[in-house]
Amino acid sequence: MIDPFIHAALLMTTPILLAAIGGLVNRVGGLVNIGLESMMLAGALVAVAVSAATGSALVALAAAVLVGALIGLAMSLVVTRLQANEIIVGLGFGVAVAGLVRFILKSAYGVSGTFNPPGVAMLPRLAIPYLSDIPVLGAIVSGQDGLTWFAWAMVPATAFFLQRTRAGLRLRATGAAEATVRAVGLSPLNIRDASTAFAGAMAGLAGAHLSIGVVGLFNEGIIGGRGFIALAAFYFGRNAPWRTALGALLFGLFDAAQIRLQGHGAPAELVQMLPYVIVIVVLTGLGLADRGRPSRRSL
Amino acid sequence: MGAAILPIFSRAAGVAAPFVLAVAIGAIVLAATGHEPLGVYQLMASEAFGGERRIAATLTAATPLLLTGLAAAVAFRSGIFNVGAEGCFYLGGMVAALLGFALAEWPPILVVPVALAGAAIVGGLWLIGPGILRARLGVDEVVTTLMLNFIAIDLTSWLVNGPLLVRGSANSATAPIAAGAELPRLLPPTTLHLGFVISLALVVLYGFWSRLAVAGFRSRLVGLNARFSRAVGIDVPATFLRMMVLSGLIGGLAGGIHALGLVHRFVAGFSPGYGFTGIAIALLGRNSAIGIFLAAIVFGALSSAGATMQLFSDVPIEIVGIMQGVVMIFAVAKLGFGQARAARA
Repeated sequence: MIDPFIHAALLMTTPILLAAIGGLVNRVGGLVNIGLESMMLAGALVAVAVSAATGSALVALAAAVLVGALIGLAMSLVVTRLQANEIIVGLGFGVAVAGLVRFILKSAYGVSGTFNPPGVAMLPRLAIPYLSDIPVLGAIVSGQDGLTWFAWAMVPATAFFLQRTRAGLRLRATGAAEATVRAVGLSPLNIRDASTAFAGAMAGLAGAHLSIGVVGLFNEGIIGGRGFIALAAFYFGRNAPWRTALGALLFGLFDAAQIRLQGHGAPAELVQMLPYVIVIVVLTGLGLADRGRPSRRSL
Repeated sequence: MGAAILPIFSRAAGVAAPFVLAVAIGAIVLAATGHEPLGVYQLMASEAFGGERRIAATLTAATPLLLTGLAAAVAFRSGIFNVGAEGCFYLGGMVAALLGFALAEWPPILVVPVALAGAAIVGGLWLIGPGILRARLGVDEVVTTLMLNFIAIDLTSWLVNGPLLVRGSANSATAPIAAGAELPRLLPPTTLHLGFVISLALVVLYGFWSRLAVAGFRSRLVGLNARFSRAVGIDVPATFLRMMVLSGLIGGLAGGIHALGLVHRFVAGFSPGYGFTGIAIALLGRNSAIGIFLAAIVFGALSSAGATMQLFSDVPIEIVGIMQGVVMIFAVAKLGFGQARAARA
């Protein structure tokens, strides 16, 4: 009874976690990425199309990473080089990419809404012998796909990268003290662009996980606001990888619960809005905690 | 040569540039998918402005955008980055639809103002929270108002699917409003309704308020320089809160007018992103009344053209979404038309 639920919760955590890690790195580098949703959407579509065309899930993932990173880079260039507001540009990418995806579905594949080509290769689920028979633990570690393992491996990797590496230090400096980065002869804008491209790549993977890891087809509503849930996760985590992962896990639990509740006539919408409520509560708590300190403003 | 003309030219170019880019990128997408861009654009122009009925359709489509653009502008000019108009639009639309149904016995002259006032009030109340958080605790209003949008959408969707579901109706919608609560049509058989006049009047009023009224000047000063404003005795946190609530009132009213004027009920998925488009409209219009009006008309033209274009060609309607998104992306980008550009890489 509990095992399928744990499994579903971990499965739904993966896309949120992947996108949240990308968004976290991006935010540490000084850019709040509102466009994650659009990069996930593009990644999901490309993964299905490439997976069906080549029969290889790995090639599909590579394509999703590439497309996500390209969209991320394009978004970053508008923000860093043309000094556009990151929030507006992010929302604009949401509108434009959603339009482009539907346009491509109609004009290239002649379908509207759902794209279900034959021969989509799904991400293989990795069953672990012996462990899979143990209750709870088996549901946690066995039968997950490679992207889930990758997503969780990225949590300590990101923490190590940010705290212990030269590049991580430079990234943090880019977000916190841009002038210093420039003073030592580095380009904060290039570093920021790289962090947004990374966020795009992670979001592309997150989208691919939903399309070729979970359902095996593409639907225009497949992301369902999970890009914004990822945003909620890294705001919840306040730029700390483990706290962000905890947020993603919590929201993955809600997501799995919500999917289950839909069958029972329970108010799934109310569960759906919990992540957003939690972020406001967390921000309020933080605001109360550093009351009196002047805040950094940007518009 | 024209030292006086150049700034005007560069400002005009700065405002026009996003649209030029949108047309160019749209053309690339069209050409790449085997459509003839010029022909498509001609069809779009004639679908948006060709004849009285098409113009009426464009003005109808521009109606909600006038007010969501206004809602964004009153906040932006005070330095408040409120992106929460979308949520207010949903809540206002639902409250107006419910009042329009429940007060069927009342005379129309009372129902409409009461329903619209209810819509505005719920919108204003919705943004008090982020307003206080921003004014008193310095909590980033971008994230709180963005999150509140999703909460409002989920909340209204839950209400129309659960507690408020009409018996015997499968689709998630409230009951239709009473005939007396509908805003009168201006040019039957077109759908242009009184809401357009109300919205236009509010934009004009805003134009006078923002330029001539003391409160309008003060709130702009807060946006330009909060420290200076504090030094000359303006209560900056109170201004933040007031402008946030005013923005919410207008956003809620926009939803109410949309419900009473066009949809005549509240349905799940009530807004295709009017609140977000309003942000682009305020930025493109540089928060000025005339700018908001022009930008709302252009966006209205795009969506009314898109809606009927599909009937006469095989061009997917989504080309309009692509173009609207591109305009948003470049709405506030500095494209090098004489604006100060710090060249650093």
